[in-house]
Amino acid sequence: MISLQQVFTQAQAEWKGLQESKIPIFFVGAATCGRAAGATEVLERLRSHIRAKWLKALVVEVGCLGPCSFEPLVIVHKSGAPRICYGNVGPDEIIHILENHVLGDDPCAEWALGKMTPGQLDGIDDFDAHPMMRRQVRHILRNCGLIDPENVHHYLARDGYRGFLRALQIGPDKTLEQVKAAGLRGRGGAGFPTWRKWQFCRDAPGRRKYLICNADEGDPGAFMNRSLIEGDPHAVLEGMLVAAFTLGASQGYIYCRAEYPLAIHRLEIAIGQMRELGLLGENIQGSAFSFDLTIKKGAGAFVCGEETALIASIEGRRGMPQPRPPFPAESGLWGEPTVIQNVETLGNLPMILRNGAEWYAQYGSESSKGTKTFALAGKIKRTGLVEVPLGISLKDIIYDVGGGVPQGKALKAVQTGGPSGGCIPADKMDLPVDYESLTGAGSIMGSGGMVVLDEDTCVVDIAKFFLSFTQEESCGKCAPCRVGTRAMLSILERITAGQGEMADLDKLEQIAQTIKDGSLCGLGQTAPNPVLSTLRYFRTEYEAHIRERKCPAGVCPQLLHAPCSNECPAGVDVPLYISLIRDNRLEEALASHLERNPFACICARVCPHPCEGKCRRTQLDEPVSIRALKRYMVDTAKRIPPQEMVRENTHCLGKKTAVIGAGPAGLSCAYFLRRLGYTVTVFEKQDRPGGMMAYAIPEYRLPRKVLQDEIDWLLGTGIELRTNVEVGRDITIDRLKADGYQAFFLGLGAWKGMSMGVPGEELKGVMQGLELLVGRNKGVDVPVGKKVAVIGGGDVAIDSARTAFRMGADVTVVYRRTREEMPAIASEIEEALAEGIRFEFLALPERIEGDSARVEKLTCRRMKLGEFSLDGRRRPEPTEGIFQLEVDTVIAAIGQRVAAEAIAEQVGLTLKSSGRIEVDPFTHETEAAMFFSGGDAVTGPSIVLEAIGAGERAAVAISEKLSQDIAPKDRPRPFWRRTITNDTEFDPEAEPVETPALKQKTLPLDARRNFREVELEIAQNAAYQESLRCLRCDYRVEGCSQTE
Amino acid sequence: MTGPAKKHLAQIKDIPAKYPANRGSLIPILQDIQEKLGYLSEEAVEELERLMGISVNEIYGVATFYTQFRFSPPGQHRIQSCQGTACHVRGGRQILTELEKRLRITAGQTTADGQFDLERVACLGCCALAPVLAVDGKVHAQMTTKKIPAIISRYADEGNNRR
Repeated sequence: MISLQQVFTQAQAEWKGLQESKIPIFFVGAATCGRAAGATEVLERLRSHIRAKWLKALVVEVGCLGPCSFEPLVIVHKSGAPRICYGNVGPDEIIHILENHVLGDDPCAEWALGKMTPGQLDGIDDFDAHPMMRRQVRHILRNCGLIDPENVHHYLARDGYRGFLRALQIGPDKTLEQVKAAGLRGRGGAGFPTWRKWQFCRDAPGRRKYLICNADEGDPGAFMNRSLIEGDPHAVLEGMLVAAFTLGASQGYIYCRAEYPLAIHRLEIAIGQMRELGLLGENIQGSAFSFDLTIKKGAGAFVCGEETALIASIEGRRGMPQPRPPFPAESGLWGEPTVIQNVETLGNLPMILRNGAEWYAQYGSESSKGTKTFALAGKIKRTGLVEVPLGISLKDIIYDVGGGVPQGKALKAVQTGGPSGGCIPADKMDLPVDYESLTGAGSIMGSGGMVVLDEDTCVVDIAKFFLSFTQEESCGKCAPCRVGTRAMLSILERITAGQGEMADLDKLEQIAQTIKDGSLCGLGQTAPNPVLSTLRYFRTEYEAHIRERKCPAGVCPQLLHAPCSNECPAGVDVPLYISLIRDNRLEEALASHLERNPFACICARVCPHPCEGKCRRTQLDEPVSIRALKRYMVDTAKRIPPQEMVRENTHCLGKKTAVIGAGPAGLSCAYFLRRLGYTVTVFEKQDRPGGMMAYAIPEYRLPRKVLQDEIDWLLGTGIELRTNVEVGRDITIDRLKADGYQAFFLGLGAWKGMSMGVPGEELKGVMQGLELLVGRNKGVDVPVGKKVAVIGGGDVAIDSARTAFRMGADVTVVYRRTREEMPAIASEIEEALAEGIRFEFLALPERIEGDSARVEKLTCRRMKLGEFSLDGRRRPEPTEGIFQLEVDTVIAAIGQRVAAEAIAEQVGLTLKSSGRIEVDPFTHETEAAMFFSGGDAVTGPSIVLEAIGAGERAAVAISEKLSQDIAPKDRPRPFWRRTITNDTEFDPEAEPVETPALKQKTLPLDARRNFREVELEIAQNAAYQESLRCLRCDYRVEGCSQTE
Repeated sequence: MTGPAKKHLAQIKDIPAKYPANRGSLIPILQDIQEKLGYLSEEAVEELERLMGISVNEIYGVATFYTQFRFSPPGQHRIQSCQGTACHVRGGRQILTELEKRLRITAGQTTADGQFDLERVACLGCCALAPVLAVDGKVHAQMTTKKIPAIISRYADEGNNRR
């Protein structure tokens, strides 16, 4: 018998030698994902360089250290210096590091992720303090990335097999007690208490007992088990020894999927090493315990991850599940008591025995003890293999460890549990990650796959994706699973092709229940989960696919015209007008725009262009400057007479509709109603129409004449406008009804400024941002001093700041968060900065002081970023620091509320707690029949374009109701919604042009202390060049299956 | 028996002896046969019936359950397009569509010249580097449709050079 003590001593000496090595060592992360990232090339280059230069250096291949998005990773040991972990290291970089750090004295901080050992190094922090690592607790993965997985001495030197030896010492009963006290639950997905499964097996009679390690890891998106086996195989094998010893098992199997060849290879080597050390075979270490291990390779069947199917596979049969009871613990492999454990469950055992149950149980939550590894992937900045204590909140994993969603996109949901799991929506990110919480939210812990989805992911598509996976992998034994998943998939395919019906949603739920009730195994029982969980949290998205034939995320090909037009709330056909601009067919271009959005000149100036946010050109260089092209178009093209936009209809003319509020929502609704042929009257309480466009947007962004001309054109379709009439006060709703109005649109906007709640707010010289902007646009004299502070970070704040600047003031904007988090349009912030406006970020007003005549100073508290809140932004927290600004004017622009109480009462509406009006998201109808609403009154402060889209949808819904009594052949239809054929030439095989994006010219900075329009006109050639940059995502080849 | 068939059987006749003589060895034996021959030929399955005493029907019943097994000769190079969750979310579908277009076959087929097999796989386990593609087991990370032609021609050239 080999003396393990001797081997331990040898191993420790070897490991110590490695730590104190005088010659340099390169630990290269060369697991499967490391190789995929290029580690093989790094190894080759490194080795050949070392050979060629006759250098004395060691190269060791290690497993996965965790931060996969930084792969290839190399840890460099240089005698006398702390070990440094480098990321994004290609073949050239590693040679550079060798030459400059190892052979020189430049630690190459630009690639360094951190120091692995203590010591001082300028510009390089501890690896454990790296944002991705600092919340992690790497227990299971303690050796991964640090040891050579093929050198058992490394494992032994780091307390390897001490856990098993302890188990041998205390005996199987006490070992079971330890596992029970530790609270270990199965890490394969179901979270069954491990000790209890062992108890069943120990109590069951049988000739021999079996232990099986389930390394079939079939969940798409999961690679935790692979990484552990590749990086530290003995951790799993020692766990098997502990388990087998406690169970009294004499034969073990590791069932590893064939798609993991490196893992299988590592296991074969490790098992050979165990034999050499006398850790396998008869009477291990002189005890009565005899045990041996065989590797079985999975043959490509996801269902074989299920216990009974796995057993069937080992028995050489088709991998089809068996009814339970009897459970494998009583009757499993060859009918004998068998325990099947997941790789990670086994990986937990050595440390429980080594450090004790009490130590283990201090990590994790009450119900879910210990740590868990997760494969963090999808739309997340820092993908990788992470290990955290159970009970940590999802938001800490996603935003803190993972760094949040890239490219500033919005988080949509986090998918856990693979095809058996569900999606947790973005507003539930404070959910703790433990077994019960995830199940309660409609998902499951699963084996650890965690895929992040953002605004560009369609949840219906994701549900369809998972269902097609489980449908394919269904073994076919149970009709509810075999036929039911097929039926659900067909329904989802119809919905994503724009052929769904509302009844389909109920059908999906019914079939789901049948499948869950009637399936023998976990595959069937959990297959409906992705559909059920997305229906639970994202029903509106399903409904959009059905009721509007639209995919809001812009994914489902048959419902997508182009990403830009799909994103536009008004549905403007962007590629169409861009290609018409290219061909100099400007009147047609403008006409096509006016079909969907009458406010072309206005949007060309003020729209924050969500279309550009989805432009696929961004993947090459920068988005197409769509708004600039629109500006060129409106400046150059002649408008067709407004009457041509109308389809007169005698059946509709007699029906009177009332629009309350002449803002963008109201005017848009009026426009589309008129186009359908209805009689429309717009009531506006102000002197002039336009709403926020006229009263809040400053002249230097939107000249008054441009605005007025555009509105006049719209009214020229035949809309009656009555200004200076406040509905609810000057004229009641009842009166309007009595006058014969049959439908109403409430476009009330959000005008009530919010108070800051600071002492001194009542002083003279403190005003709301809207007061300033509205006053200016009305031509009223608003007393603005010379030293102005603007509080807030949205468009009203920036507009107020730049307006005050133009009135001759010195302006500082005070915002409680950082620049990146400011909701204002980015280009507006840039212009404000260029104009010399100062910004104090992370600052919160505390007190305004002055006398009865004027304001004198503003005291602000310095803030710092604290905990993540649900939306992924860090909450600002007060610090000790304060500062003061000497100001004579303070402008509050921290948000506006809806003030609809008066009208709501007359109509009979219950407003939401925010004061906003509640409507059906598709028809925009309120709870009061024939009363519709849209725009800021429904959404809170938003953009002009949203309001325009809402007005159009409401108009269509109003018409739907009003035209019920008209004969079908005479009924008006939203004729503008058909796709206009794009007959311009386009060569899909041509390479994209490489011109840089057009940047619109602006007034020189020294000419800006006035209200002249800042953005200048665009030259024809510049517009032409820009129009060529469009990739024509709307183009479809003849016979393409993805045509709408 | 034909020449090639005889050659097949010579290659596989020693395989069953490496394993315990029971039913549980069926799948490992089939895996080894496929590794040797590249697929499970009819002759090989018939020979296995003789060697193991399990009927051809039963053997096919087991083999066809598992996606690993092929029943026709493979192409020179095996392309696996990962369609797992992380790859799907990062554009895996487009990678597969482009491959199908370039190779003029659909997933599950072999190109006419026998150069390439194209398969969809559910997950290769490199999700942090999605979307991924594996050719002859070598994983290519962070794929884009632009990278595909170069990868295909690299392997196609290798094949040509060997001839």
